[in-house]
Amino acid sequence: MKDGGRPARNAVCPLWRRWLVVGALGGMAAAALVQVARLQVVGGHERDYRFLQRQGEARTVRHEEIPASRGVITDRRGEPLAVSTPVLSLVADPKYLWPAAAEFSRLAEELKMTPEALAQQLRDGDAEALIGRSRRWAERQTAALALPEEPRRRALGKLRGEARAVAAFAALARALGEPAAALAERLGRYRDKRFVYLARHLPPERAEAALAAEAPGVSALREFRRFYPAGEVAAQLVGYTDIDGRGQEGIERAFDASLAGSPGVKAVLKDRTGRTVRELALIRAERPGRDLALSIDLRLQYLAYRELKAAVARHRAAGGSVVVLDAHTGEVLAMVNQPSFNPNDRDHLRLAGLRNRALTDLVEPGSTVKPLTMAAALEAGVVTPSTQIDTNPGYLWVAGKTFRDHSNYGVLDLRGILQKSSQVGTTRIALEMEPERIRGLFARFGLGSPPGTGFPGESAGRLPDRRRWRTLEHVTLAFGYGIAASPLQLAQAYAVLANEGVRRPVSLLKREVAPAGKRVLDADVARTVRDLLCAVTEPGGTGTRAAIPGYRVAGKTGTSHKVGPNGYEAHRYVGLFAGMVPAEHPRLVTVVVIDDPRGKEYFGGAVAAPVFARVNAEALRLLGVPPGEGGRWVVAGAARAGGEGRS
Amino acid sequence: MNALRFVRLPEGVDLRLLLAAAAIASLGLVMVASSSADQAAQNLGDPLYYARRHLVYLAIAAAVAWLALQVPLATWRRAAPLFVAGTLAALLAVLLVGREVNGARRWLVLGPFNLQVAELAKVAVVVHLAAWLAAHPGLAARHWRSVVRPLAPVAAMGVLLLAQPDFGSTVVIAATAAGLLFLGGLPLRVFAGFLALGAAALAALAWSSPYRLERLVSFLDPWADQFDSGYQLVQSLIAFGRGGWLGVGLGNGVQKLFYLPEAHTDFVMAVVAEELGLLGVVAVVGLFGLLVGRVFAIAGRAVRRQDWFAAHLAHGVGILIAGQAFINLGVTAGLLPTKGLTLPLVSYGGSSLLATALLLALAARVGIEMDERHWAPGRSAGG
Repeated sequence: MKDGGRPARNAVCPLWRRWLVVGALGGMAAAALVQVARLQVVGGHERDYRFLQRQGEARTVRHEEIPASRGVITDRRGEPLAVSTPVLSLVADPKYLWPAAAEFSRLAEELKMTPEALAQQLRDGDAEALIGRSRRWAERQTAALALPEEPRRRALGKLRGEARAVAAFAALARALGEPAAALAERLGRYRDKRFVYLARHLPPERAEAALAAEAPGVSALREFRRFYPAGEVAAQLVGYTDIDGRGQEGIERAFDASLAGSPGVKAVLKDRTGRTVRELALIRAERPGRDLALSIDLRLQYLAYRELKAAVARHRAAGGSVVVLDAHTGEVLAMVNQPSFNPNDRDHLRLAGLRNRALTDLVEPGSTVKPLTMAAALEAGVVTPSTQIDTNPGYLWVAGKTFRDHSNYGVLDLRGILQKSSQVGTTRIALEMEPERIRGLFARFGLGSPPGTGFPGESAGRLPDRRRWRTLEHVTLAFGYGIAASPLQLAQAYAVLANEGVRRPVSLLKREVAPAGKRVLDADVARTVRDLLCAVTEPGGTGTRAAIPGYRVAGKTGTSHKVGPNGYEAHRYVGLFAGMVPAEHPRLVTVVVIDDPRGKEYFGGAVAAPVFARVNAEALRLLGVPPGEGGRWVVAGAARAGGEGRS
Repeated sequence: MNALRFVRLPEGVDLRLLLAAAAIASLGLVMVASSSADQAAQNLGDPLYYARRHLVYLAIAAAVAWLALQVPLATWRRAAPLFVAGTLAALLAVLLVGREVNGARRWLVLGPFNLQVAELAKVAVVVHLAAWLAAHPGLAARHWRSVVRPLAPVAAMGVLLLAQPDFGSTVVIAATAAGLLFLGGLPLRVFAGFLALGAAALAALAWSSPYRLERLVSFLDPWADQFDSGYQLVQSLIAFGRGGWLGVGLGNGVQKLFYLPEAHTDFVMAVVAEELGLLGVVAVVGLFGLLVGRVFAIAGRAVRRQDWFAAHLAHGVGILIAGQAFINLGVTAGLLPTKGLTLPLVSYGGSSLLATALLLALAARVGIEMDERHWAPGRSAGG
């Protein structure tokens, strides 16, 4: 600068002082820029931009869940058993909604109006008209009007906003169909929380109506509601989910992980009042739940349910179960229980209806295991089908206990013993064998071990295992006392007979291919026992009411005493029928259990056998199973099987 | 061209100064709109409420600056005592009849407008000190006690400002006064004494009221109390961090969405930093550098002409604008304790815009009068 040349004249404002000031200002600018750069682009220190961005995201970026739709459960033919429909749940942030509710209540008190009347007034007139009627609001308005322009606008805007919020609250309550006072009270309880459900699983149009009220802090969540088209017919088997879509019972619970899929996550940017400003990124896409096809055939299921329900009602029974298995594949084609419940309306749920009795409840199979004892005897070679057993005089004294037949049947062959369900005959045959023979066969047939369906609460049953058998234990084992099995286990055991001695694991899920079974009984023995069992449903048998015109039915009745707290109860029974059809080449294996019939009849042949007949007659028609050599008793095959067993 | 004659700029006006000011003001308008839109939509039901008013203030400020530009420096100099007296009276009036908002009594109601007298005081102090220093050249030789007399009204203004309370304006005025005295040739030891005195006074003030102490220490580590006293600064720092080199894009800022209070006034630079990045901040600082540089260049011309009133007037304008801009940026970036100070020409606020426009008009006037052409033969002085 030229100033430098004239130092004397410039003593008032020396050049160096000006440069110092300019330098100081430049230095300040530089210092500020260095600080800004440290905040914005220079990394590697504790509070660098990475730290700041993380802090920012922690305050503004929220991860929101994208709900995944739950898999559909169908029967084997694709009929829906459980489907999810999208619904909206209304939620509120009490931080924003509670003040409106509180002001509504206060206003009702100040104006000496009932909440209903106030809600009515807010609905009819405009919210702001109320400002004039409330003293506190009028005071606030007066105070606001005295402010300078910007604060005035702010204060008046706030006042109007609050008035609108109170009106919106009243409108919300109306849309929800809840008294405003009750809604306010409910919000008051959650006023320190940031999330509360106002109403769950609303149909979209009702949720839209509530959202249209534009009450502060209210938003909608997309959720799914589970619907069970088959209702009570498959209630215990399919089970249900809770309101949050988690499997609670039955298949819904057993296969929850696969049905549920996994929710997705998206990152959203929120402003400070919690509103989503924009969606930032899809962190993870939702994976919809997998569909699940059950093994049951809904037609058979309906059928079985109808007949069981009718029978339980007719015999005034406490409950009952029907299990129908596909004889070849081990798939469960029907599994119904009484009592039942409506899974679509669980408000009046009774606990008794919840159990899938066919899988969880144990019954003493009683006489229904006699064919198994016979199979053991045939397998051991101690008898042939034509072996004559003397049951005179109609009772037998074993180890201090008397076993009686209904009457003295005289000399019976195996067919006769099964047909009459002779205790004496069975006992005599059982005593010909080691008890381990019988127990071993029972075990191979699946009694005493869980069927492995994966169903929650599946029972393993009870099959005693003794080092030394006392005679009484030996004998009672042979006719099914002292052991316990679920109806499904019993059906599984009969399926071995139906399936030529091959045991296939049972399944509640549809199978594309039947799994390789395991041979647990000689095929000829299985055929023989099946043939013998036909006598039960033929004239003179205990299970004639299980007969189906045109088909041969192999089955066995059973009647066992219920077990109460003091052992066997004298006059309470469980009536059973287990059987298969058509006997020549069984297609269906069915077990019917009627629990505690209080009517005149209680024998399995009277209460359970008719259910078997009705269900199977209709099922065979539905499945298109042609009638076999109906009416002709195939004795030859049995004789041949017996002969081979002898050799 | 004839139509343009009507609004023709006075001959010799510093165009670069004008362009820098216009550029800063334009950027300010855009940033006020961006930072206030969501907040205004929510609270006032009009997203452009602040932007529209800011535009009106800009027009008024430009008109006032245009008028001020016509007033000869001599008139300003003669009117200085009156200006000071008027300002003191206004400051007193604020305390008596002013409008209180958020616990501070800062506004005088003038019809439809609210005037923040503190902004006026800044102009008054510059004019007053320039006039006094021009009247007493060779201050360096004088006894330090002679400095007390011109500083008395400044100190009075400071006391009245602190009573509002307006700590930020007091600091800016004190800094400007110190700078002017230094440039006026105050002996270094006297200057050092004043600085020590000032520092002691500031310290005493900060200690005397707890909320100032809290504000004073919170900037050192806002994270320690990030949800209370450090809240605003933390949100501001996050805005800087989010901005990076080029920013998240104009209008895309998040911090202004109710996270950062005063986003359109004192903390507008945080929004600039977030949306336009370091580049934007450097641009703003560069524009202020250009603006203040031009003001100092104009002052330099006055120094060469040995017109001390003109020189100190320009110096005062430069120091005041630079100082306030620095403090504002320093506060938003966590370099300085939090004070309520606007960024000149950028932040929302009519009074601040008006005062800055007046100051720039004074500097431009100095430029005109120090121009060779202004005194050229055939022209009347003060034309």
